Amino acid sequence: MAGASIGDNEENPVAINVTAMVDVIFCLCVFFMCSLHFRQLEGKFDTWLPKGKGTGGVGDSVIQEIRVAVYWDEPNARVVRQLGNRMIANDEELQALIQEAHDDFVKLNKPDTPVTIDADARVPWSEVINIVNICKRDQIDKIEFAMGVGPPQ
Amino acid sequence: MSRRKPPTVKEDVTCNLIPMIDIMFLLLLFFMLSADMTQREFEDVVLPSADQVQEAPKDKTVGEETTTINIYHRPDSATFTCPLYAHGSLCRDPSHWLIGVRSAEYTPDTIRDQIRNEAEASLEAEVDPEAGKRMSARKVIIRADHMAPYGDVQKILQYCGEFGIYKIEVAAAAPTKA
Repeated sequence: MAGASIGDNEENPVAINVTAMVDVIFCLCVFFMCSLHFRQLEGKFDTWLPKGKGTGGVGDSVIQEIRVAVYWDEPNARVVRQLGNRMIANDEELQALIQEAHDDFVKLNKPDTPVTIDADARVPWSEVINIVNICKRDQIDKIEFAMGVGPPQ
Repeated sequence: MSRRKPPTVKEDVTCNLIPMIDIMFLLLLFFMLSADMTQREFEDVVLPSADQVQEAPKDKTVGEETTTINIYHRPDSATFTCPLYAHGSLCRDPSHWLIGVRSAEYTPDTIRDQIRNEAEASLEAEVDPEAGKRMSARKVIIRADHMAPYGDVQKILQYCGEFGIYKIEVAAAAPTKA
């Protein structure tokens, strides 16, 4: 049937049977349709590791920072966040406290004081990114990652 | 008087497949071009979402060398299943988490050599006065699953710092625009 589709037999005596080709194209189309996946819209947080600082200790100098500690509470299978000695209940509270602490450092003429995220190695990555996101909302760009802490006493 | 028979027109009813073939070719072309046939740099990970994330530029900076490091949970297969991860719970079995660079699998212990090789492959020409050594011009993009243990990301940051890679990007899912 498909062979007759290429014009009139009288005009074109050599009929080409395109059925097989159509079948193959259908199969290819189905294959590529099934393999197509829509990529998630991705963004990036630009980060620069300190060149001269490395991953060594901070020495005996007085640490001036806004430190957010994030622990993994194994028995309750949940994340515990702490700013200074204060336990944080939700994101809004954390954002307000970081903003407040940052404003205090700005008043002391130290606007570059970093927010240090001190997270347990078991903490899910999303919790760390959430804190980075909160800092970005507060227009704080100087964020540092500490090398992990033990559980709270 | 005999009735005349109406003249019969011999009609050749054929199905013209040419437009359909044209459309099929176009569809095929579309799916072929949109298919990702290149070496897979991006593993399937559920990225953590962040509303402050900067949208990734469409085109790479000319001459900039990048390495994408994926941290992802081992996918389910005929021989492997993880009920915890499958049900959205936190899996903390270290053997279930993999680090992928250009489709090759690494563990937090074996990735160190790979990062060193990547760093050494694109060292800057000049010694950095701040660091006192030649830094690497390579940019590392960390794409970690939202459930990935932070310890694995920490190790990658540590190795990058150790081998002079200072340009790091952290991937997150941008919220969908309404």
